[in-house]
Amino acid sequence: MDATTAPHHIPPEMSQYGEENHIFEIMQNMLEQLLIHQPKDPILFMINHLQLDNDNVPKIVILGPPASGKTTIAMWLCKHLNSNLLTVENLIAKEFSSLAAAARKHYQINKRVPSMQLVRLIQDRVSEDDCVRRGWILDGIPETREQALMIQTVGITPRHVIVLSAPDTVLIERNLGKRIDPQTGEIYHTTFDWPSESEIQDRLIVPVGISELETAGKLLEYHRNIVRIFPSYPKILKVISADQPCVDVFYQALTYVQTNHRSNAPFTPRVLLCGPMGSGKSLQAALLAQKYSLVNVCCGQLLKEAVADKSKFGEVIQPFFEKDMAEYKLQEGGALGSLPCNAVPGTARMLLPDSLIMKVLSERLNQQDCIQKGWVLHGFPRDLDQALMMDSLGYKPNRVFFLNVPFDSVLERLTLRRTDPITGERYHLMYKPPPTTEIQDRLLQNPKDAEEHVKFKMDLFYRNAAELEEFYGQALTINGDQDPYTVFEYIESGIINPLPQKVP
Amino acid sequence: MEAGGSREREARNYLEKHRIMELLKYLTSVLLFIRPEKPREYLIAILEKLRIAKATGVAFPFFMDHSNITAMFDMMDSSKKGTISFVQYKEALKTLGLCPADEVLKDDGHAITLDKFKSEVNKRTQEICGRTKGKGSGSCQTAAEQPRLH
Repeated sequence: MDATTAPHHIPPEMSQYGEENHIFEIMQNMLEQLLIHQPKDPILFMINHLQLDNDNVPKIVILGPPASGKTTIAMWLCKHLNSNLLTVENLIAKEFSSLAAAARKHYQINKRVPSMQLVRLIQDRVSEDDCVRRGWILDGIPETREQALMIQTVGITPRHVIVLSAPDTVLIERNLGKRIDPQTGEIYHTTFDWPSESEIQDRLIVPVGISELETAGKLLEYHRNIVRIFPSYPKILKVISADQPCVDVFYQALTYVQTNHRSNAPFTPRVLLCGPMGSGKSLQAALLAQKYSLVNVCCGQLLKEAVADKSKFGEVIQPFFEKDMAEYKLQEGGALGSLPCNAVPGTARMLLPDSLIMKVLSERLNQQDCIQKGWVLHGFPRDLDQALMMDSLGYKPNRVFFLNVPFDSVLERLTLRRTDPITGERYHLMYKPPPTTEIQDRLLQNPKDAEEHVKFKMDLFYRNAAELEEFYGQALTINGDQDPYTVFEYIESGIINPLPQKVP
Repeated sequence: MEAGGSREREARNYLEKHRIMELLKYLTSVLLFIRPEKPREYLIAILEKLRIAKATGVAFPFFMDHSNITAMFDMMDSSKKGTISFVQYKEALKTLGLCPADEVLKDDGHAITLDKFKSEVNKRTQEICGRTKGKGSGSCQTAAEQPRLH
């Protein structure tokens, strides 16, 4: 407990628990709310906050120029996320509120609501029960920087801000085709979004203020204001182009709103790379280990090291590595016949029993440097049984990646590998060709890189891949058929960004 | 800018006054140590117990119970003299989160005994959890006394 005693070993279960249950985020949200409201009785406030459990409800702001489709997107998002829509119109339409009545009067005269009143209306609305439980979506508010700052001051902070953008000419043209359904309030368009039912078609009215001149005027004002709103929401803002079909805009908005932002929670990466032979697992693992100081655990390498070190495991493993297995098989048929192992028909070798591999792996993963720095594992597990075994022993990766490479690319990568027997230099006939024909003549190929062998290994992998993908539900699939640094960037972003939330 | 500065100061004062950071650290430590299936429910349960303890002055089930405090003291007192130095005492309080970094503890020249250490830890934990001043301090003392008798 002194500062003088050795560094304390934090059991890995603690960090796993913290990550899985998002403890850091829970505490951070609680602290935010405490600071915003500064209640006299913090403990009671904290109890109520925890009971509400509304850390993840939608809190979205949608901004954009007139005719960009804000209201349409906002309404669709509302329906999809089962949340509440707040617009200037429905805020001032509130009944039984003197504030709303005063705002209405002002709106009728000046066509806008003063910021103070608007913010007070928003504050009241957001503290209502349904907004607290299901979240809210603000459509077109804040209109100016002043409003943005006022909303922030009362403690209302959105988690996602979407800004729609499109060239002015497109918007002016679009606005001319705008039609409104007076009953539902939905917005339709003569060209892009015409309702199919003829009774709705008959109802539609032309809204006021959509002539070119008026739209241009509104656009000018919008551009003036939006530039000064951007700095209020630095990390949570996303600009989506509105110059594409409505459905595309909606899906982009939905995906964005459902992602969590990067959090400051402490995170020790425990990465699992899966993929067929030749997909680049070893290379990616080496790059990751180098950049993030993780421990690179290659299963095959680990076993070879055990044999080379002549450790107690090494001695048990060595017989499996012997070349001439035929004689061995005859001898050992009795003793080892009862062990669970993957016997491979057609080749003379027996593969190592799972339990043995698991023991060697456990020994490595339990070492202090793996626990503290995190690890990158590749080459294991290869099927569901091995995955279950690993899981039951408590080695749960927090990021799993599947590297997809088409068969032809794998063949290209592997069958063209050559080694120079004299210098030991490794070449690739396409990616790193030997410099002189003299060297090229004497190059040899590793029998493991022969086409037959590669095909066989790939089949083996794909037979088990479906089960593995199902087991690791949160795995990310990456296209491995690109240059190594691009693949590395995809893997990095997969590790750094929080895992995507499943759509409920 | 001025308004921003004063609100920040207000917020910091609020945190200090109610010892929020220590409370949150304590809650996080409990969660990571106990690792309950349902963290929210567990947190709510602890906070309810805290409320009750604060209102009625009943001894709060401390995270660091007395065997832990004794064990900690023994770890520091490697030569088994029965006392620890002032520096060790201050570091231990800081590690437990019971002593804000800028607090100045007076060194009364005597080494700290196990009893004094225990009573100080209890007193400070009570302060954080209960924050009872003035009329409540009587119940604080009784609450602190009860565990000592175990």
